[in-house]
Amino acid sequence: MKAHHPDTITLMEFSAGNLSEPHALCIRLHLDECADCRSRVDTLESLGAVMMENQPQTEVSSGMFDSILSRIDSDVSDAGQRVSTAAKSGRRVRPLEKLLGDDLNNLPWKRQLGDVSVLDITDRFPGQKEQVVLQKLAAGGKAPSHTHRGEETTIVLQGAFADNKGVFNQWDFVVLNQEDDHKPVAVGCEDCITLSVLSAPVKLTGTFSRMLNPFIR
Amino acid sequence: MSTLDQKPARAEGRKDPWSQLLEKVGKNQDREAYHALFQHFGPQIKYYAMANGMANHAEELVQEVFVSIWRRSCLYDWKKAAASTWIFTIARNQRIDMLRKMQRTSAEMQVETEDLWQIPGEHENEPVTSLHRLMSERRVRDSLKHLPEEQITVIAKVYMESKSHQMVANELNIPLGTVKSRVRLALNKLKVILQDQNV
Repeated sequence: MKAHHPDTITLMEFSAGNLSEPHALCIRLHLDECADCRSRVDTLESLGAVMMENQPQTEVSSGMFDSILSRIDSDVSDAGQRVSTAAKSGRRVRPLEKLLGDDLNNLPWKRQLGDVSVLDITDRFPGQKEQVVLQKLAAGGKAPSHTHRGEETTIVLQGAFADNKGVFNQWDFVVLNQEDDHKPVAVGCEDCITLSVLSAPVKLTGTFSRMLNPFIR
Repeated sequence: MSTLDQKPARAEGRKDPWSQLLEKVGKNQDREAYHALFQHFGPQIKYYAMANGMANHAEELVQEVFVSIWRRSCLYDWKKAAASTWIFTIARNQRIDMLRKMQRTSAEMQVETEDLWQIPGEHENEPVTSLHRLMSERRVRDSLKHLPEEQITVIAKVYMESKSHQMVANELNIPLGTVKSRVRLALNKLKVILQDQNV
């Protein structure tokens, strides 16, 4: 079991389909590895189904079922190909690999001062307001002390980091805001790579602040 | 212990008529079963579209959902989700997908809707039939009857109108904290909240 989970309200927003794509991606990646949260999302999806059932209903137009039948009849694919073979074989889709197209460690990382590298992938999510960044903290490295102006949602993709709140391992999920002033350290022998969705840029609190801040442009 | 007590999951799963119908569609392309599902869920999905402000696309959404149900029904496994839950997630995904397609070109969509919002029971390696899953819908349905109206109102806005908790707070003119505490009280009753979690 993972130690750090998305809170239930966030899982609810996910199950209702109300999260932005980058936020949904963070949740999806966590769910793929966390049976407890998957089971909670199952229940929340049932809640959605029961809510839908309890609402008023709206009559559909009389010819609609026939149009649906003619659509499925004109479907070129036969019954056996109704869904992709990938889905049928139960092979898990890997959204992150699809998005990045390469191994995490081979990406065109931009080295910042110190032990931190970043890669801004906001442009992979057209039309979103949030900034989406991958951050890499070299094994054993320290990130400068910083706080957050808005809300930062982070999922650990590789390795682990520790700060005043504890140790965050692979697939752990953490949300930081204005009140969290932290100084993460990569623990273990791997580089720690995280995916973060930022509603506003990070604000540095240490002495070297401005220059070190990877998010100030 | 009676036989019934030993097999609550199976009994529960088999009792649900919608799941049986959906299974028939998946296994035999049974059009009568498909039509029965359409008559039951079609009007629900149309209301869902209207509540989401998609009045101009409501019938289109119902069609997309049903075409998708037909195509995916062979993947449906009653042991993994009740039909109504499975169909709700298809409606949710088709809604998201339709909105995404209205907003951008397909070339811009690097990640597909269903890579992020999955259908329960698909893309899963675990063959587990969890009792929890089978029971969850029944428990949710029973618990909802006992929730105060103010909690149901908030939950309905989140699921049916796709409003964030902040938007619900603005609309009802109550603090965000109140919205969240109503939701937490409700989810506690539905046993969704982790015991050891500070949310």
